Amino acid sequence: MAIADLKAATRIPPKLVTIRVKRWSPTKGKVEWREYQVETYRGMTVLEALLKVKAEKDHTLSMRYSCRMGVCGSCGMVINGVPRLACQTQIAEVASESNPVITIEPLYNHPVIRDLATDFNPFFGKHASVKPYLIRKDIEEREGPTGEYILKPEELENIYQFSLCISCGLCYSACPVAASDPEYLGPQALAQALRFIIDPRDEDPNTRIAVVDSEHGCHRCHYAATCSAVCPKAVDPAMAIQMLRSIVFRHRLGFWRKRTSKPAEKPKEWQPKKPMPPEAQTIPGVDLEQMEKEPVIVEVDGIKVEIDYKFYKIR
Amino acid sequence: MGLTDRVRQYRNLPGFLQASLNPWLIKARNNPERLAFVLHRVTGFTVLLYLFLHIIVTNTPARAGWEAWDSLMEAFGAALFNKVGEFIIAGFVIFHGMNGIRLLLTEFFGVCIGKPEKPKPPYIPPSFKACQRRLLYLVFALWPILWAIAGYIIFKG
Ligand code: SF4
Ligand code: SF4
Ligand code: FES
Repeated sequence: MAIADLKAATRIPPKLVTIRVKRWSPTKGKVEWREYQVETYRGMTVLEALLKVKAEKDHTLSMRYSCRMGVCGSCGMVINGVPRLACQTQIAEVASESNPVITIEPLYNHPVIRDLATDFNPFFGKHASVKPYLIRKDIEEREGPTGEYILKPEELENIYQFSLCISCGLCYSACPVAASDPEYLGPQALAQALRFIIDPRDEDPNTRIAVVDSEHGCHRCHYAATCSAVCPKAVDPAMAIQMLRSIVFRHRLGFWRKRTSKPAEKPKEWQPKKPMPPEAQTIPGVDLEQMEKEPVIVEVDGIKVEIDYKFYKIR
Repeated sequence: MGLTDRVRQYRNLPGFLQASLNPWLIKARNNPERLAFVLHRVTGFTVLLYLFLHIIVTNTPARAGWEAWDSLMEAFGAALFNKVGEFIIAGFVIFHGMNGIRLLLTEFFGVCIGKPEKPKPPYIPPSFKACQRRLLYLVFALWPILWAIAGYIIFKG
């Protein structure tokens, strides 16, 4: 959740919490709620509590996680009614002495594989459909680049926030439109579409605009902005979609033109250093011409030092 | 993925009704836009329904002549349920219209939604600090006032 309780890790959670998990197994095919009691410690996250349940109480509990530090985006689940990253949510943040119950459900709007593990194939498919990579017209240049593409700091500022997305699917799970239209591209894919449409290094915004300017694309969004409220990386997909929509609108009217940057010029060939003028000589008693040819030995404060001029040449 | 696997998956979809009627489906903090979205949808559909009924009723003269229209007006024109209905529709139209202006600004013209920035603690998304949020509070504040004025006009006249 973007507006996380930043002090939660410093508080002491209730000694014993009850974790209510919504479970579903493909063989049984029905939803059931299970409760587990877990002893806590200060700084415990919901993911750690679940792993403790899995290790000590019920080995069949399934979930998905990987990095345990809010980077990989696999551990999204609905915790007390809000989609959150389990590894980033402190027990102290969601449970209190007066109400030590934590309700955990699989992410909404994603098909469930088992218990808390959800299937991200459709979600990643939508991400892939907006072509989230730089496209250059000059294929030869793209495959064998001769220089960098220029991106100015203020242009980076425009896309930086959207490029923080970790594809955790929380925004998609919170979106009321995705809840009623399984085909909806979703806040994550649309934010990534915008990120590449306004990236000056990219040359093909039109294919992406064609993808998002569709029935299940950006016009479906109704600006409920829950996606931005739950995003753990402060990506603000709701703003991205509104920006995208105004771009699509202007594009249809023919007012919108993309600014692209050219590859930077090739770096200049390395040029051999000019020999040092004699007055620039800093080590007394050493012949510069000789130093360039072979290592010289000089005495500094009674210590013999070998100077090899070769190492001073920059290759 | 085969078809059998697909069938054996459980789609965790809250569905259209839940999504459009329940502003607390996701209990996210700092998100009055969601409440506005639900209200916008409810008021929109209600006004649409009213519009259909309105068209059916107001084309009575064409269907059954002006006598039928006069008798209809005599029967229902001053009835209490008619006035209450008008009152509700007026309030819904006021909210839908005012929120609609805000949505036009944000969705069509992309203004009032802030600018991308480097996220810093406490990580409030830029669009939540932008002027669309102040417009939303303005809509919520003006709504009861205008609704009350509309009620005064309807019940007095
Ligand atoms: S936009 Fe935010 S919530 Fe959505 S997938 Fe990316 S990081 Fe997750
Ligand atoms: S702003 Fe759009 S994409 Fe985000 S939650 Fe609302 S409807 Fe979904
Ligand atoms: S386990 Fe990687 S984000 Fe939570």
